[in-house]
Order: sequence, then C-alpha cells, then structure tokens
Amino acid sequence: QEVDFESGETYVIGGVSVSGNTSFNEQTVVAYSGLKKGNEIKIPGEDIANAIKKLWSSKLFSDIEVYLKNIEGNKAFLEIQLSDLPQLVDVKITGVKKGKIEGIINDNKLKKGVKVTENLITTTKNFIEKKYKKNGFYNTKVNINTIEIKDSIDNARVNMVVAVDKGEKVKIKDIIFKGDSALKEKVLRKAMKSTKKINRLRILKRSKFIDSAYQADLASVIDKYAENGYRDARIISDSISVNDDKTISIHIELEEGDLYKFGDISFIGNTVYTDEQLDRYIRIKKGDTYNGVMLQKRIQDNTKPDGDDIANLYQNNGYLFSSINPVEVSAKDNVIDLEIRISEGKPAYFNNVSVVGNDKTNDHVIYRELRTRPGQLYSKADVVRTVRELGQLGFFDAQEIAPDFKNPNPNEGTIDMEFSVKETGSSQIELQGGYGGGGFIGTLGLSFNNFSIRNLFNKEAYQPIPMGDGQKLALRLQASRFFQTYSFSFSEPWLGGKRPVQFSASISHTKQFLFDRFTGNADRSRSFNITGITLGLAKRLTVPDNYFTLSQALSYQVYDLNNYNTGLFTFGDGSSKNLSYTIGLTRNNTRIDPIYPTGGSNFSITAKLSPPWSLFDGKDYEALAEDREEQERLLSLDPTDVDAANRRSEIDQERFNWLEFYKVNFKADWYTEITKDLVLRPSVEFGFLGAYNNDRGVIPFERFFVGGDGLGNFALDGRQVVQLRGYPNQSLSTQDGGSIYNKFSLELRYPITLKASAKIYALGFLEGGNSYNSFRDFNPFNVKRSAGLGVRIFMPAFGLLGIDFGHGFDPIPGGTVKNGWETHFIIGQQF
Amino acid sequence: CSEYQKVLKSEDIALKFKVGDSLFQAGKYEKANRLFAQIVPKYKGKPQAEKLMYLYSKSYYETKDYYVSGYQFERFAASYPKSEKREEASFLSAKSYYMLSPVYSKDQKETKDAIEKLQEFINLYPNSQYVAEANTLIKELDFKLEKKAFEIAKQYDLISDYKASIKSFDNFIFEFPGSSLREDALFYRLDAAYKLAVNSIEIKRTAEGIVRLKKNRLEQAKEYFNTLKKAYPNSEYMARAQEMVLEINEELETYSAKS
Repeated sequence: QEVDFESGETYVIGGVSVSGNTSFNEQTVVAYSGLKKGNEIKIPGEDIANAIKKLWSSKLFSDIEVYLKNIEGNKAFLEIQLSDLPQLVDVKITGVKKGKIEGIINDNKLKKGVKVTENLITTTKNFIEKKYKKNGFYNTKVNINTIEIKDSIDNARVNMVVAVDKGEKVKIKDIIFKGDSALKEKVLRKAMKSTKKINRLRILKRSKFIDSAYQADLASVIDKYAENGYRDARIISDSISVNDDKTISIHIELEEGDLYKFGDISFIGNTVYTDEQLDRYIRIKKGDTYNGVMLQKRIQDNTKPDGDDIANLYQNNGYLFSSINPVEVSAKDNVIDLEIRISEGKPAYFNNVSVVGNDKTNDHVIYRELRTRPGQLYSKADVVRTVRELGQLGFFDAQEIAPDFKNPNPNEGTIDMEFSVKETGSSQIELQGGYGGGGFIGTLGLSFNNFSIRNLFNKEAYQPIPMGDGQKLALRLQASRFFQTYSFSFSEPWLGGKRPVQFSASISHTKQFLFDRFTGNADRSRSFNITGITLGLAKRLTVPDNYFTLSQALSYQVYDLNNYNTGLFTFGDGSSKNLSYTIGLTRNNTRIDPIYPTGGSNFSITAKLSPPWSLFDGKDYEALAEDREEQERLLSLDPTDVDAANRRSEIDQERFNWLEFYKVNFKADWYTEITKDLVLRPSVEFGFLGAYNNDRGVIPFERFFVGGDGLGNFALDGRQVVQLRGYPNQSLSTQDGGSIYNKFSLELRYPITLKASAKIYALGFLEGGNSYNSFRDFNPFNVKRSAGLGVRIFMPAFGLLGIDFGHGFDPIPGGTVKNGWETHFIIGQQF
Repeated sequence: CSEYQKVLKSEDIALKFKVGDSLFQAGKYEKANRLFAQIVPKYKGKPQAEKLMYLYSKSYYETKDYYVSGYQFERFAASYPKSEKREEASFLSAKSYYMLSPVYSKDQKETKDAIEKLQEFINLYPNSQYVAEANTLIKELDFKLEKKAFEIAKQYDLISDYKASIKSFDNFIFEFPGSSLREDALFYRLDAAYKLAVNSIEIKRTAEGIVRLKKNRLEQAKEYFNTLKKAYPNSEYMARAQEMVLEINEELETYSAKS
C-alpha cells in the first residue's frame, strides 16, 4: 500500500523485498540499492531517493519504485518494484552494403546485451539517416523495429531490425540562375563550393546534394554579390525540380539590387592611434565599389589570426579588451558612409602566467621560453609566438599547445594566461644489426632529447631515465669486423641558466682496419683512426631581430694512419690534424610544428676556418708544390717508381700535417602554406671549400659529395654529404669530392596525419644541383635535375623515416643517358 | 605448480577470497591483489563485497599503485557509506592522491587534487585520528605550490627579466601571505627591483609625457627594502639588502641635489 509521507520519521529497516519483472537476484538488487536491513533511515528522506538514483544509474531497469509495505513499531518494511530493460540479442540491418554493417553496429554500440531504450532506438535512427544524407542520399529513410523473444528464459530480450532505405543518390544536372546580370553564372556556380553540377572530369568533388551545404552555398552566392558592391542582393526563390533521369535541377531566382560605393569612412573612439594610422589599415578610397567582406577583413579578419588588420593592431599592443564596430551612418544615393566605432578599453597586462601539463619537463625549461610574462603588456603576437616556440622545443606535442585566457578583468586591465601542454616522448632508441660493408654491422644509438644531467646519480629520477631539464644527450656505438665508431654528444640550451647560450660538446672516435682482400679478414695491425672533439656555443641574438642565432664552435680532429695504404691517401703512415673554428649565423622562424612547418623560413650561413698555418710555419710551399709536380711527372712516366712515390707521400704528409682550409656554407628554405596544410618549400644551398695558400692546395678532407639520400654514411674524411634525389649516392661528385656545390629544390608537402603518435606527410619535389672541382668549373645553372615523390613518417620513438622515388633527368658524370628512377630511404631529419 | 597457482586457476571464489585474505595479512599484497581482481566482479552486490573491496583497494595502496588505490578507496567510501572502514578509506584515498603529487617543478594538478581531497576528509571527519597526519600532508603540499611560484619568480630574476620577477613576487606575497618563503620573496623582490633600477635608462617618453624612469624605480626599490626591513629586521639577507639600499640612496641623492 502507499503511504502519504508527510513528515520524515526515523525507522530501522526491518526488511527489503523485491518485486516486479526482474531476473536479478533479490539479494543483489537490495545490496545494490544500499538499503541494508538494520540500518536507520528517514521516511521520507534522502536514503530512498538515493536508492532509486543508484538503481537508475545501473541502466538495467525501468519503472523503479520503492514502497513502504508496512510498519511494525519502529521497523519499516520496504519493497522495491522494478522491471528489467529488454536486452539486445541480435541486430539485422538491411538495405546497406555488407561492409558498412559492422561500422553502423560499432558506431551505435549495438552490441549483444545492451539494454534497448527508446533513446537508443532514436539515436541510432538519426545517426544512420544523417550519415547517408551527408553523402548525398538525400531521401534516406530508416525504420527500426524490435521483436520480443519469447522462450523459456525469463529475461526480457529483443531482436532489432534496422531497415535502411537509402534511395537514389541525388545528382545535380543543372543550376539555373534567374535575374543575374552583373555577375557571370560561372562565377556564381564557382561560389557554390559544395553544390556542383555533374561533371565527369571533376573527380575530387562529385556532384551531390546535401541540404545544409546547399544552404551555405546560397549564402556564399549572396556573399559573392556583396563582395562586388551589390549588398542588397537576395535570393527571391529557389526550387528543386526532379528530372526524368532522377537527377535534379536547381533553380535560383535572385534580385541583384543596386551597386553601392564607399563614401566617407570616419573613426570614432580612437585615442591610441590617429585616423591616418588606421586609414592605412583600411586602404579604401571614397568612391570604391562597396565590399563588405573586404571591409570586415581589414577591420578584423576572422580567417587569419595573424592578419594585418585593425583588431590585431590593437590586440598586439595590449588592447585585449578593445572592440571595433563598423556602423553605416548613411546610404544616400547608394553611397555608404561608415563610422568605425572603436572601444579601446584599458590596455591589459599579464598577471599570472602559468603552464600546466608538464608531467616530465621542469618549469624552468619552459618558463624561460615564454614571451608572455607577468606584468608585461598583452600582445596577441607574443602569445602566438610562445605557442610556436614551445612547440619547437620538441618536448611537447606542437599541435596541442593551447593558450587559455583566464580571469580577464577589463576594469583592472589584467589577464591571466595558462599554457596547457602535452608531453610527448622525446627519446629515441636505435638498435639495429645488418649486413653491409662486407660484414655484420651492429648499431646501438640512444638519444635523449629532454635529459637531466644533474639527476644522473639520483636514483629516484630514473623513470626510466632522468628527464626534464631540456638537455640533449646522445650516445652511438657502431661496430663491425672492419670498423668501430663511438660517439657521444651533449648539449645544454641555457648554459648557467641565465642566458639562452647553448653549450654543446661532442667526442667521437673511429677505428678502421684494412680489409685484406685475400683472406677476407680485417688486418688488425693496419688501421686508420680518427679522434675528434668539438665544443660549441650558440647564442640567441636580439638584433637585427630575435630569431637570429650566432653559433661558434671549436673542433679538433686527428687522423692517424698506421701502415694503411689505400687509394685514398698517398701516404700510409702518418697523421693529419684538423683544428678549426666554425662561426655561423642562422635565422629560424619556421612555425609551428618542427616536423611539419607551415610557415616561416630558415637561413643559415656558416664559415669553418683553420688557422693559416702556412703563414708562420716557415715552410716553402711553392718549392714543395713544384717538387710534387715533378714527382707526379715521374710517376706518370713510370708508375712503379718507388722513390718518386715515397717522395710524393713525404710531401703530402707535410702538406696535410695540419689541415689548412676555409669552408663556407649557405642554406635557406622557406615554408608557405598554399591552401590549408598544403605547404610549398623552396630551398637553396651553396658550399665552397678553399685554400689560403694555393701552393698548399685544397685539402682532400671536408669535401662535398652530392647525390642520393644525403645520409652521412660511414666516411673517413669529414665529408659533407648533400642530398640530391634521383641519383645514386654521392654519384654527382668526383671520387675525391667537389670543392664547391650548389643546389636548388622545390618541395610540395601535404600532411596525411599530424597526430602526436605519428605524423605522416606526402611530398613531391623538383630539384637540381651539382658539385664542381674548382671555381673555374663552377656554373650554378649547370645542374643535374630530378623530380619525384615520397612520404615521411615521424614517430616519437623512431624519429623520421621516409622513402622517396626520384627520377634523374640528366646523366651522371661519365654517362650519356639520363639516370632514371632511384629509390631512397631516408632516416632522420634532412636539412 | 605451486599452491598459489592452483588457487589462481581454481573456480572456487570462496577459496580465492580466503587465500587472498591470508596472503594479504601475510603482507603478500601483489599476490593477494591478483586473486581479488579475479573475484571482484563475482562478489558484486553480495554482503562480503564490502570487506573484499576494502582489501582490494588496500592491496593497490600497498603495492604503490596509487592511481588505482585513490580511485578504489573513493569508490569504497561512496558505495559503503555506513561501513566502519569508511573513515580510513576516505583518508587513504586522499593520501593516495598525496602520493601522486610530483616534484614542485612539474605540473601540480595532483598536488591540488590531493589538497582538495585531504581538506574534504578533514571537513567530513574533524575528529578523526588521521586529521593530524592529514594536516601535515596538506602543509607539505601547500609548500610545494609556494615553492613552485617562488622558484618561477626567482628564475625571472635570474634571466634578467626583472619586471616579470617583481610582478611574480608581488603575486606570490599576495597569494601566500603565511608562507615560510615570504622573507626570501621580499628579499628577491628587492633584488630584482634594485637591479632594474640601477640598470635603468633615465627617462622615457610616453603618451602621458616624460617619465623619470630611473628615479621612480629607485624609489620603488627603496620601498621594497623598507617592507623587508619592517617585516624581518633580523633577516639573514639584511647585510646584502643594506648594501643595495646604500647604493640606491646614493643615486637618489643626485636627484635631490639637482632639484
């Protein structure tokens, strides 16, 4: 029986029973409801409401009610009445392709055992209808029936039958305009971005009719008129007729109205900028054809966040709270006078600036990179740049860095800023083994891009490696029967933490054994060792602008030969030392994602110089050069002349004891977003290696090798490998390498996905380049050309991988026919 | 095949509960946890579930899986509002969040969560035996937030962005009035203001007219010195602060001499 609960009295639960159509154990239902025998409850009170709520939230029951059965003394006996929702057993979907069925089931979660509610049926129906309408099946109808299963099992269960009637895909035969005269029909049809006539040649955008897109297209037709001064243009009527072949025709009748012109434009409310300054942004003269769209773009371009408009002028100079409103004050004789009303508001200053989401990276690594700091005047450009630069650190997912404005206070003129970041894996491990160079090669490479060296001996920081101080540490070991290389490098972007001066250090050692042709073994007594150390400092500059970096490096290398006679050098015993100073200036403002830049450019010019030893070592290089020429002549007469050969190696040993050279490199590339995400990347490169003393000659080290994938393979002589796809590796230079090279390239990139887990993009390229033996041969237009296609995949744990197919249009040196197709595998980033 | 493996493969849920319980009591939390995980769904809605869920949650806590233990204890407290273990579970849930709080120089989301949970616990059980510990934990967590804000403000001083440093210390002093780092903050604010002032250009033209930038900044720095001196007359920083104010006064005198 029901009791009218008026006052809440306290009872002890004497017992709870369950009734209704349910297959669940009584005990289970009672326990789940939280109504425990012996507990005190108030009736009426929260406890019962909570019990009902809990049972509802299980989504297993319908019609849940709790009754008070009877009361004995202070004991209350309750009854829960409920019935089970029917469970889904099987779904049958008719009227769609087999392959689509599973998708529909998954998208709507129509799994066996789900409870069939009205809501489930309605959302499923809407989902399918919407899905097909979106693809041009405008007449899609969906009907869902449930059939109760009656058998010996008590559970209420149903089968579901989803009948889909897609109908015919609607295609548009013709779009007919009426009442248009000022604009060509072709222009109007082009303005309709999604609603297109049937055209078999247009593959990417097939003709189809989608109502929402059609409505948007009608609006763009009107916009097109508005852009051309017909701001009264309107659509009087539009109708759709069905043709015999089941296509449709669209009839649009419009009224163009009059042509309007701009009249006087005045500014009101501007105190920070003068009328003349603002006029420079508007750039509209009295008498120009009225164009509302353009006017809006000059005031505030919503399609371009960094546009050159009045809103950004204010936004970039602290006026966060400014608003700009154009108002028409007169439209007499179709000439529109405008008042641009500006409410400047107080300039806003940053109050709290914070970063959230840095689970691995320490604050100090991030805050020093922020360009928006507490107390600073608000600037939208600074916010955008901060996002760009945080992305370029490589520790966070560049696509997910979000600046959030918090607590805007127009009265005080303050704003809080919170940058939310998401950490990405920034360590890479390379472990590989393979056959190459005549034997097994094993490689172990570790690179940590966000290392913390101060935690090297802190056991707790190993999770699994000490991270978070923004330092880079790389270790690489490679070994085969014939060679071993070890290298180690470390860099700290803010040496001392005071200034952005990057310190870097690297040490490497390579040992190469002579390959014995007869035994097929490495001759361990005959070896060639290279040991090198490089220390560098790079400093960010503030002039000419703060995208510049000045870098300097000092490096020292020793080449040491022990009875190692190959064609490479004229001497088999001896050594060669390379002490050099490198100075470079780079400017990099590419944005936003370092893996896939969509804007900005990257320039670098570097010079690598050795001390001019020949100036003060007192040797007569002219005599040596003459002597060497004489020995060469002797050898050309008699190649077996041992004395001449020995003398020649003596001379060469003297010439290359301390390497003397200078080398200049220049590189530039630009990134331009052509349409959304489609990026064009032109680039140029140039390099020159010269000698101070012509008698001493250009060194056989540090030379340029052009062609192929551009990967710096195992090489003995500090060579600089230049990528030029479409040709075999290093095929465009002589065996000794060139002393001058240049390269031009044009790359078009399109992203397939830019998710943090994997970034993939496709590219097409045109490039040309060549290397030359001396300045006399140099001709920047005598290049080897190629074109091709490729794809790049970047995964945080593996770095960049790619494959390119290039077609070389010119013959390689010594050849006569064009080189044709080459396949290149790319590992690591190419610059 | 060990005894444990047999139980693991057994179908008898009562046996698993029993063995799991005794493993738990013996401190073998990981093994117990595995057994409990198997039987939790099967005890759903049964009276024994209360004890099981408590042991299950605790076994996560003991194996330092604090993400899960925080969540499980929270669920336990919500599911068994009348349980005698509810108080302990609420506390351990909050303490699990405390355990997740990282070093101050990283994102402090967990720290803030933990403070909130611990505070909720104290509000709910003001007389609990765990309140003293909860208060200690909150203090520790609060200090992390203070330390974070302090170090960020100090870093701005280090990288010579004195204006940002002053503003950040202002915010710090306002936001954490009772902080143990207050003395340090007052000194480093002076330090930044002093460096800003002595390296300042003399005057600046603005829309409002000419501003005597250096003089204003020197005066500001002096004011910060006075604040420090008033609050901490015996500060360990006093010697360094006195040196600064001496120089500030000297520079300020040149202005009064001129006018």
